[in-house]
Amino acid sequence: MIQDSAASGDAFAADLLRGHTDTIVLGVLREHDSYGFEIYKHIRDATGGGYEIKEATLYASYRRLVRDGLAEAYWGDESQGGRRKYYRITDAGRAAFRQNVASWVATRTIIDSLLGSQPAPANTKGSLR
Amino acid sequence: MNDRSPRTSTEVHRLLDEAFAGIDPTPEAQDLKEEIRDNLLSRVAELEVAGATPAEAARRAVDELGDVRELVAAASGEADVHADATGQAPATRGTRPGASAAELAERNRVRPKPAFVVRTVVLGIVAAAALVTLVLGLTPLLPLATGALIAIAAVLGLAIGVITGDALHQETTTNYPLPTGRAVLFGAATGLLVAGLGFAAVVAVRLDLVWLVLAAVLVVVAIAVLSALGATQTNRHKPWVLTLHRDAARAGNRFEEDPAAAARFGIYSAVIWLTAFVLVPVLGFTVGWWWAPLPVVGAFIAMMLVLARMLFGHDASRTSR
Repeated sequence: MIQDSAASGDAFAADLLRGHTDTIVLGVLREHDSYGFEIYKHIRDATGGGYEIKEATLYASYRRLVRDGLAEAYWGDESQGGRRKYYRITDAGRAAFRQNVASWVATRTIIDSLLGSQPAPANTKGSLR
Repeated sequence: MNDRSPRTSTEVHRLLDEAFAGIDPTPEAQDLKEEIRDNLLSRVAELEVAGATPAEAARRAVDELGDVRELVAAASGEADVHADATGQAPATRGTRPGASAAELAERNRVRPKPAFVVRTVVLGIVAAAALVTLVLGLTPLLPLATGALIAIAAVLGLAIGVITGDALHQETTTNYPLPTGRAVLFGAATGLLVAGLGFAAVVAVRLDLVWLVLAAVLVVVAIAVLSALGATQTNRHKPWVLTLHRDAARAGNRFEEDPAAAARFGIYSAVIWLTAFVLVPVLGFTVGWWWAPLPVVGAFIAMMLVLARMLFGHDASRTSR
């Protein structure tokens, strides 16, 4: 969710982020299996708490990933309040992630050159892998 | 999670029930509700640590969810409609409802791991070599000791077993990988079966036939394990494959939709076969017995044509209905 105080520049960034929700979630799952709140928190912390991806967007994303076979959902039962739903990335998901990261890098280069904005430091590409 | 007070939980559960009131309790909605419940509890615990009172934390966590109806709609299939609204990039590969099977397969493609391919090829060569040596060893062409032959049968079983288990443990475009335990059992049982059959062949040619009992035990155990595994097997298919199957099933089995057509087909078949069986002796006695099977072939062809016509050729009748 965009914070109420967000300027229009922030709205632009939030839109961009939202467009890559599935890839971002896959990126989180690539590290280890995870559940809704953990993923949500991970994304919130990574954005410095400035933007919060709307939970509705995330739940829709999980369903989409499972339906497309990019992630697998399973119920664990460690938490006391209720069972917890975990997501695990599949090999198809890893392939999709790599492909999406490659398209993002390509897009970023094009936009950078079109907008005349400073290209990102050379080491970012490595850190995405 | 340890700092969840019972009071907090009650409040969250109540608010969650309220939020879901009036929503059709489909399995998807229930599933989503349980998933949300756990995440809400975590969020409430976080808010409480930050200093909110339990009631306040519960209310805020539920408020942050937004409209639950929208959430249910977004989660249960209308995701694509919602995705457009949220500006979901096409690069994230949402499934269009009309996507063809080939398109879906391409989109969900999983490439085999190179190490797996190498393993399978090497073991395949080993298995083929073992099989050829075993067969040759059983003939007088290649004089080998009986013990060596038994060892070769074991190698053959081992190679086939490892190939089987390894293959089942791989994720493919259409299937999730089999859990390790089941994959190992499948591989072991298949290997045992192959080794048992190989041993039986060695016994038949070289040994006292009493040893067949041992071979039979190996084979029976292997078949029993495979049967048990097969009987307890659940779905391994990925969701997109299941959707495809459902769509294919919906393409129409007329006999299920229209029992009268099924009954008509039964009567037609009975008439066709009765005619054929009457014609068999008639032809046999008049033209000659060489011609007698002809009506049976004719009846089979007629039945298949009627089946094809009745089961699938009904678009006109469907639109008129």
